[in-house]
Amino acid sequence: MSKITNCIRRLRFDHGEMTQEELAHRAGCTRQTIIALEAGKYTPSLALAFRIARAFDRRVEEVFVFEEPDRTE
Amino acid sequence: MNAEQKRAWFVLGAFGLACVAFAVWILTIGVRGAWGAFGLLGLGGFRVLFRRRERIDERDAVISRRAALAAGMVSYLAFVLGCMGVWFVAFAWHRQGQVSVHMFPAVTIAGGTVFFLAHSVAILVLYGRHVEAKDV
Repeated sequence: MSKITNCIRRLRFDHGEMTQEELAHRAGCTRQTIIALEAGKYTPSLALAFRIARAFDRRVEEVFVFEEPDRTE
Repeated sequence: MNAEQKRAWFVLGAFGLACVAFAVWILTIGVRGAWGAFGLLGLGGFRVLFRRRERIDERDAVISRRAALAAGMVSYLAFVLGCMGVWFVAFAWHRQGQVSVHMFPAVTIAGGTVFFLAHSVAILVLYGRHVEAKDV
């Protein structure tokens, strides 16, 4: 099963130790959603993924990683 | 913990209080009068006092939709099983030719109660589990 991971927590600390509340405000979501994202308990919509990436001034692929399982041939 | 989770815990707390009162009243006043303890479920209506201060985002909307769907399915199942149970008791147990008309509002109210309980449980479970935005 495909999995989407992220490096939001690392990027937050790299951006002047941005708080979860501040990131939530910039991305237009709640702090609880940011907590769930960092814990891997929520896979965001495309729109939210773009807003979070924009908050870090990064591309979506630099914030979220799409992991596909190895396909045996 | 956000307002939705607090509301869910409040409803479950009201149900727990009703169950405790039912158990106590069974011992003191008997089974017939003890059913009145479930009137305490009405306290669950005060859950609206937990007002949401923060915004509702997509994760809250997804969880709310999934919880409502789960609660609807469970309450419908409870209603159907309740109707079948009443029929079973009337025909198979008491050998009666018909079910009392008083049973229908009781089964309907039970189904409605199950809806709110299942919704509260679903809210608490979904906020602790992995959820995807593409989920219904």
